[in-house]
Amino acid sequence: MPAASIDVRGVSKIYNPGSQQPVKALDTVSLSIADNEFFTLLGPSGCGKTTLLRLIAGFEQVSGGEILLFGEEIAHLQPSQRSVNTVFQHYALFPHMSVAENVGFGLERLKKPKDEVVSTVKRMLSLVKMDHLADRRPSQLSGGQQQRVALARALAPSPKVLLLDEPLSALDLKLRQTMREELKQLQRETGITFVFVTHDQDEALAMSDRIAVMSEGHIQQIGSPTEIYEHPVNQFVADFIGDSNFLDGEIIAIEDDIVTCKIGSESVFEAENSGNHAVGDQVTLFLRPEKISLTHSTDESTDNHRRGKVSNIVYLGNEAAYTVDMGDGISLMAQARPKEDGNLPFAIDDDIAVGYSNRALRVLAK
Amino acid sequence: MSKWLPKSAAARRWLGLTPAYVMIGIFMLVPISIMAVYSFLEPNPYGGVLPEPSVAAYVKLFLEYDLEDNLVFNPGYINIIFRSFQLSIMATVICLVMGFPVAYYITLQPENKRNIYIYLITIPFWTNLLIRTFAWIIILGRGGVIETPLLNLGIIDDSLKMMYTDGAIAIGLTYSYLPLMVLPIYASLEKLDFRLLEAASDLYSSRFQIMTKVVIPLCKPGIVAGCILVFIPCIGAFIAPNLLGGGKKLMLGSLVQFQFASARNWPFGSALSMLLLSAVVVALIFYARSARKKEYIQGTA
Repeated sequence: MPAASIDVRGVSKIYNPGSQQPVKALDTVSLSIADNEFFTLLGPSGCGKTTLLRLIAGFEQVSGGEILLFGEEIAHLQPSQRSVNTVFQHYALFPHMSVAENVGFGLERLKKPKDEVVSTVKRMLSLVKMDHLADRRPSQLSGGQQQRVALARALAPSPKVLLLDEPLSALDLKLRQTMREELKQLQRETGITFVFVTHDQDEALAMSDRIAVMSEGHIQQIGSPTEIYEHPVNQFVADFIGDSNFLDGEIIAIEDDIVTCKIGSESVFEAENSGNHAVGDQVTLFLRPEKISLTHSTDESTDNHRRGKVSNIVYLGNEAAYTVDMGDGISLMAQARPKEDGNLPFAIDDDIAVGYSNRALRVLAK
Repeated sequence: MSKWLPKSAAARRWLGLTPAYVMIGIFMLVPISIMAVYSFLEPNPYGGVLPEPSVAAYVKLFLEYDLEDNLVFNPGYINIIFRSFQLSIMATVICLVMGFPVAYYITLQPENKRNIYIYLITIPFWTNLLIRTFAWIIILGRGGVIETPLLNLGIIDDSLKMMYTDGAIAIGLTYSYLPLMVLPIYASLEKLDFRLLEAASDLYSSRFQIMTKVVIPLCKPGIVAGCILVFIPCIGAFIAPNLLGGGKKLMLGSLVQFQFASARNWPFGSALSMLLLSAVVVALIFYARSARKKEYIQGTA
């Protein structure tokens, strides 16, 4: 296994310790980030992801635990003594300096020779395609351009790890999508470990090698984007990433890898057995909407066939989200593409067949 | 009513500003013009001026007639002007060195506390400057608050002779105008984006470098404004020089006051005032230049 670039060991952070209302932002969090990895900390606001990033950067002091940068303990060091650089959410470019001066700032503080500073600044600015605006002031740049300068400024001193604090959140949608690809490409080109903080699941899925999903100061799950999306360990992760159908029920039979659950008063669903479950357990079943096929007549290619009635339609352009009433107080969300002439395949109150495979329906522990 | 008002919006705006223009005209431009004219007239020995043109007042700044009626160089007034600038610059520098940390400290406080501190800074303005300067006589003077305990404890044998010195004047000036340094610096520091400090420390800056490379350049307009707000009243001050300098160590302000009150040489007092005014205008031009830069910087947000 390659050396971890960042090793977070049992780190806790408590704000206002000893006061009336201490706030536990991080609770003994441990994670290991590999070298050259694009690692994302994903979670809702207040989950502790930014706190963790600020602890790694050194803007906050840990309340407990240790942080290692390539095996060297850094938790007690000043931000200026850590070989990590940050891209701030609102860029934090120095308004009194030109673009080139901003990018050269870190290099000059490191007392690099003048000609090296000049050539590195040039190289960094061309890397982010900003070389033609080197003499501008930050106030004369658009949001996307400021973002690129902030990236160049943080990359210029060749940090061992680059920290990115929701850097795309202030950009508009189109630009955000372009920047995603550029960031990913930049990470591959520079070979620097990126630690990326976001609350946007699409960003996380699109760019990351691995994602840590966080909630209330704890890490819920660490895994590749597909692991997180396809095999969430609990309802929080499943709910936070993508759309999901959740069915609460009780296990009534277990046979090989098939778990049979009673949902509602009389409906019975079979799902893939994902672990240690026993008959009588209260569980939540989980099914992604895109795994459900909606047809007018029964679709023989799926394991399960049920019938339901369309109760709501949300048109999204490339597809439509259907809410299907299955009876017994159960309703499922599913998706269907519009037909080739652009019309939707089903209308409200249509009686339709709902199909899915057993492997798509999973059991989540409570 | 509205039919009396001018039709165009631009003309109405000018109408709204008329009272201000009238005030500035009557109470500023007219008196300054009178001063300018007086400075080129002959003095009336009983006060006022004689309507005869003369440049004698300006000549008097540099030259005097010796016993044989020859014009010779007289350094007396030049020395007073020189000392005025020296003491004013000294007071300004002391105010800056003392005021900047105070302003910075206040900026770092939580918002409700900041307002209390700013309120405390402005409290001295509630009392007359004359009375506050008299208080310094009690503190610095012979048998005063500083000397008496030291004499009684036997640490010193004789009076420290702190009063009637340039130092006493500098203390008085610093005390009088320190709030005028703190307030503008605070105003510019308050607008400072403190995330920039984090960015600087992330980019390998020491605390000292964060100050010199980020904080001070960004609040330079506030520093310049503070320096000018302190320097201008210092150069024209006459209360502190008269009371704490004992009237022997004259400054420009006290010299002007002396010409109008006791010496009854109004043209010379006017000439001195014009000199003072030009010094102030030069300082303000300097400020206007730095203020333009400030707008440039603030376009960022």
